[in-house]
Amino acid sequence: MKIRDLPDDDLFTAGHTACPGCGVAMSIRNAIRILGKDTAVYVPSSCAAVFGTSFPYGAWKVPFFHTAFENTGACLTGMQAAFEMKGKRVTAVGFAGDGGTYDIGLQSMSGAAERNDDVIYICLDNEAYMNTGIQRSGGTPFGAWTTTTPVGKRIQGNRSFKKNLGDIVIAHEIPYYATLSIGHPLDFIKKVEKAKDIKGFRFLHMFTPCIPGWKMDPAKTVEVTRLAVESGMWTLYEVENGEKRITYKPGKMKRVKDYLIIQGRFRHMNEDDIKKLQMWVCRKWNLHYKEKGTPEICEIELPEEHHAVTEEHREMHGP
Amino acid sequence: MKKVITGDHAVAIGAKLCRVEVVPAYPITPQTLIIEHISDFVYDGELDARFLTMESEHSVMSAAAAAEAAGARVFTATSSQGLAFMHEMLYATAPLRLPVVMVNASRTLGGPPGIWCEYNDSMGARDSGWLQVYVEDNQEALDMVIQSYRIAEDKRVLLPVMPCIDGFVLTHTVEPVEVPEQRDVDSFLPAYDPDIVLDPARPAMIGTFMPAEYIMEMRRQTVEAFESAKKVIKEITALFARSFGRDYGGLIDTYHMEDAEIALVTMGTVTSTARQVVDELRQEGKKAGLVKLRFFRPFPSEELREVLSGIKAVGVADRSISYHDGGPAFNEIRSSLYGMNIPVIDHLAGIGGRDVTEGQIRKMFEITQRAAEGEKVKIINWHNTRGETV
Amino acid sequence: MAAQTLAEAAVIEGNYAVAFPFFGAERRGAPVLAFTRIDSKKIYSKTQVYAPDCVVVLDDSLLDTIDVVAGLKPEGTVVINSKEEPDDIDLGVSVRTAAVDATSVALEILKAPITNTAILGAFAKTTGIVRLDSLEDAIGTRFGEKLGKKTGERNALAARTAFERTVTGRSRGVKKLEPKKQWLPTYQELPAGGALIEGKTEAGLIGPGSFIENKVMGWATFRPLRDKEKCTMCLLCWFYCPEGTIVRISDRGDLMTNYDYCKGCGVCANECPVDAIKMLRARV
Repeated sequence: MKIRDLPDDDLFTAGHTACPGCGVAMSIRNAIRILGKDTAVYVPSSCAAVFGTSFPYGAWKVPFFHTAFENTGACLTGMQAAFEMKGKRVTAVGFAGDGGTYDIGLQSMSGAAERNDDVIYICLDNEAYMNTGIQRSGGTPFGAWTTTTPVGKRIQGNRSFKKNLGDIVIAHEIPYYATLSIGHPLDFIKKVEKAKDIKGFRFLHMFTPCIPGWKMDPAKTVEVTRLAVESGMWTLYEVENGEKRITYKPGKMKRVKDYLIIQGRFRHMNEDDIKKLQMWVCRKWNLHYKEKGTPEICEIELPEEHHAVTEEHREMHGP
Repeated sequence: MKKVITGDHAVAIGAKLCRVEVVPAYPITPQTLIIEHISDFVYDGELDARFLTMESEHSVMSAAAAAEAAGARVFTATSSQGLAFMHEMLYATAPLRLPVVMVNASRTLGGPPGIWCEYNDSMGARDSGWLQVYVEDNQEALDMVIQSYRIAEDKRVLLPVMPCIDGFVLTHTVEPVEVPEQRDVDSFLPAYDPDIVLDPARPAMIGTFMPAEYIMEMRRQTVEAFESAKKVIKEITALFARSFGRDYGGLIDTYHMEDAEIALVTMGTVTSTARQVVDELRQEGKKAGLVKLRFFRPFPSEELREVLSGIKAVGVADRSISYHDGGPAFNEIRSSLYGMNIPVIDHLAGIGGRDVTEGQIRKMFEITQRAAEGEKVKIINWHNTRGETV
Repeated sequence: MAAQTLAEAAVIEGNYAVAFPFFGAERRGAPVLAFTRIDSKKIYSKTQVYAPDCVVVLDDSLLDTIDVVAGLKPEGTVVINSKEEPDDIDLGVSVRTAAVDATSVALEILKAPITNTAILGAFAKTTGIVRLDSLEDAIGTRFGEKLGKKTGERNALAARTAFERTVTGRSRGVKKLEPKKQWLPTYQELPAGGALIEGKTEAGLIGPGSFIENKVMGWATFRPLRDKEKCTMCLLCWFYCPEGTIVRISDRGDLMTNYDYCKGCGVCANECPVDAIKMLRARV
C-alpha cells in the first residue's frame, strides 16, 4: 500500500486532546487506519489513554478498553482468548508507551510474547513518562534531560543508555518484530500491513517524538524522526521468524549532534557527553549496517568496556 | 453423582459445569489444585475453554477483566499473596461491572509467610467492589461457584463474585460431594449475554478516563448494584434450592436461632464445627444458636438485625484482625446492631491457620453467655494464644 | 505559571496568597483554568473560586465558547489578551475591562506566543493588586530559577511592556452566550460500568468517535493555508496531520482543511515537499 491507497476514514477521530504536533497521535491515527475496523484496542495508562478518551467522549471508532498501566500484554491475551471462543475474527491491538513497555509492563508483555498469543503489541516510544510530566524511563536516551534526570550542578541529564528493548523482544522468538518511524511513511505502512497479516505475537516498535518532553518546535515532529534515523539514533529494521532485515539504509551517517541540536532536552550536553553518545550510536550503527563499513565520524577510539558502563554509572551504582 | 473429592476439585468441577470460556491461571498454594484440575478438563477435551497460563496474578486478573469485557464467561482462582498482587485489578473489575467469578482459597497473607487459613487476604479486598461469600464445606464450594455466576451475571447486579474457601481445611480435604448433572446446571444457568461488549460490529468504550463530573455517580451506581445483589442473592438461593434440593439460606444461614438466647456468628468452616457445639449445648439445655455469615459483601445488616433481635448477647468468631479494635466481622456486626443494646463480643481464633477446636468454640459461647448474664467481660478475646488468653 | 507568579508577587508585598490549577486531562496548548486568592491574612479556603474579583483571559478566542464572566462580581474587572479596544469587546455584560495584545508582546520579546508573563503586567496596571516591581521580582524568581536568569529578565520585560501598553475601558454587553452543554447523567441514567456505545444526547454525541464534538481551534496561534495551484496531492500533509484537520475526499481527489480541529502545529507546512503550505497567524 502507498499513502494514496490508505482509506479516507478516520478510526481515531479529530477533536482528541493530544498536544500540537504529537508523534503518538500521528502514529496511532495511521496505524489504526491500516489495521482497519476489525480491531479492538487496549490502551494502558498513558497520554494516549487520556487524550484518546475522556468520558463521555472518545476518539476511537473501534472497541476501546483500558484498566491499568502494567498489563497491556495480559489484557491483549484475555481479549483475544474471548474473541476466539466467541468465533469472532477480531485482532486485539495494544498501544502502550515506553514506560508501559520497557519498565512497568515488561513482564506482562513478555508473557504474551512468550506464549506467542495472536495479538499485535504496539510500543509508542517517546523516551520518557510523558503523561506524568516527563520522567525518565528505561527508554530515555543518554544525556537527555527529564524531570527526574535534571540538569543539576553535579549530575546533568540521564546517565544510562537507552535499554535495548528490541533484542529483549526478539529473544522471545516471536514471528514479527519491527521498528517504525512516522517520518518514513512507506516503511511504516508496509510494516503495519505485514503485522496485520502475520499470525502470532507481533511487536511494532514506533518512534514517536513528544513536543513538550523533547522541548522542540511542534512543526519538527517528522523532521526529528528523519534525523534520528539518519544519525543512527533510531534504526529501521524488522525481524521475521528470526530473520533480521534492514528496511531502510540511511546515506552518509549524520553526526548525533545534528539530531540533538533541535531538541531542548539535550541542549545542556557537554562535548564529552556528546562524544559518549556518539560512540554508543556508532556501535549500534556498526552492528546494523556492517557491510557499509565504519563511518568517518566513528573513526575515534572506542573503549573496550560495555557501553552502558560509563564512569558516571560506576560513580552512581558501583562497578 | 456422589464423589469423594477435595474442595479444590469440587470448585473445578463447578467451573466446568458452568461452561466457563476463558480461564487465566497462576499457581499458588492452596489454590493450585483448582487450576490443575481445570487444565486437565481443557487438555482432555472435557471443557471447551481457553486455559491461559499467565505470568502473574496481576496478569490473571487483567486477562480476566479483558476477556469478560470481550464477552466471555471467565473463571479463575487465587489465594493470599496472589490476591494481594492483583489488588489493583480487583478495583478495575468491579466498577466496570465485569462479572468475573474467582475462588479465593483463604490463606494468611504474609509476612510472616505462611500457607494456612486466615481471612486477612480477602478482608483486604472487602471494599474493592467484589461480592464475597464464605463457605463451610466442599458441597457448598461447588454449589456456590454455580450460584455465583447466576448472581454475578444478573443484569441487576453485574458484579464480580469471590467465593472464599478455607485453605487446607477445605481445599485439601476430601469429603462426599453430590455433583450436579450438566443438564440441570444448564437449565439453572443461562449463557452469559452482556449488553455491551468489545465488538467491532458495535464498538464500545469500556474503562474510559473519567473526569470528576462522573466518578461519584459511578460509585453510587455500584452501591445500588450491591443493594440489588441482596435481593438477587435471596432469589437465586431459593431457585437453587428448588432446582437442586440444597438451601443455603441466602446472605446468612441460621442454626437453632428460633428460641436462642445467645448466638455466635461464624464464617467458613468454623461454622461447621460450631454446629456440633450447638448440638451439645442444646443437649445441656442451653439456648445457644448459630448464625453463619455467608456473604460478607454485600453485608447482611438487616438480616442480622432481624435474626439477632431479642438475643441477650452475640459472640463473633473472627479469623483475622484489622489492627484496630478486633476483627473485621466483629466491627461490621457491632455497627449493624447499633442501637439494639445487645452486647457484642469478639473472639479471635484460628489466625494463621491455627486449628479452631470444639473446646475453643465452647469457650466462645461461655464468654458470650457470661455477657448475656450481665457480667462485664472483655470485648476482644484471643483464643488459644500463648501469653494472656481467655 | 501565571497564577503562581501572581501569588508570589503578592507574597513579596507582605500578603498571603494561594494559587492552584484546575487539573484537566488536556495536553499542552489546551485551554486551562487556574486560580489565585490574595488576602492580607492566612487563607483557609481550599475550594475553587466561583465569584472572582478579576478574570484574566489569556486567549480571546475563548470568548466565543466560554462565558468567562460567569460569577464575576458586578464591580469586578476583566483583563484580556486582545488586539481589540476594551470598549469593542463584547462580554455579554458591561464591566470594567482592560485589553493588551500580549501575543504580540510575547512574540516580540520572547519569540514565542507564551503570554502568561505579559498578561500579568496588564493585571498589575489594571487592578493595582500587585505592583509592577514586585511582579518583576516574582517573575525573576519563578522563571529565572527554572529557565535561567536571561529568560527571567526577558519575561519581566514582557510584563513591563504589556503594563505600558494596557488600555482600560468598559466591555459591551450585547451578546448572549449559550452555556456549553454537557451530558450529566444521574447514577441511574449512567450505563452500567460507564460502558458507552455510539450515542447522542441533548448535549451532542457521546461514545466512540464522539471527540469530534471537541473543537480545538482555540489552541492554534498559527494555521495552515494550502496553495492549491502548487499542491501536487502527494498526501503527505494528510498522512502526517496528527489531528485529522486535513480531510481527504478521494472521490473528488481533493483535500479539505477543517480548521475546527487545527491546533496549529505546523507539521504540514514543514513537511510539504513543494512548499505549498504557509502558516498564518490565526488571530490576535
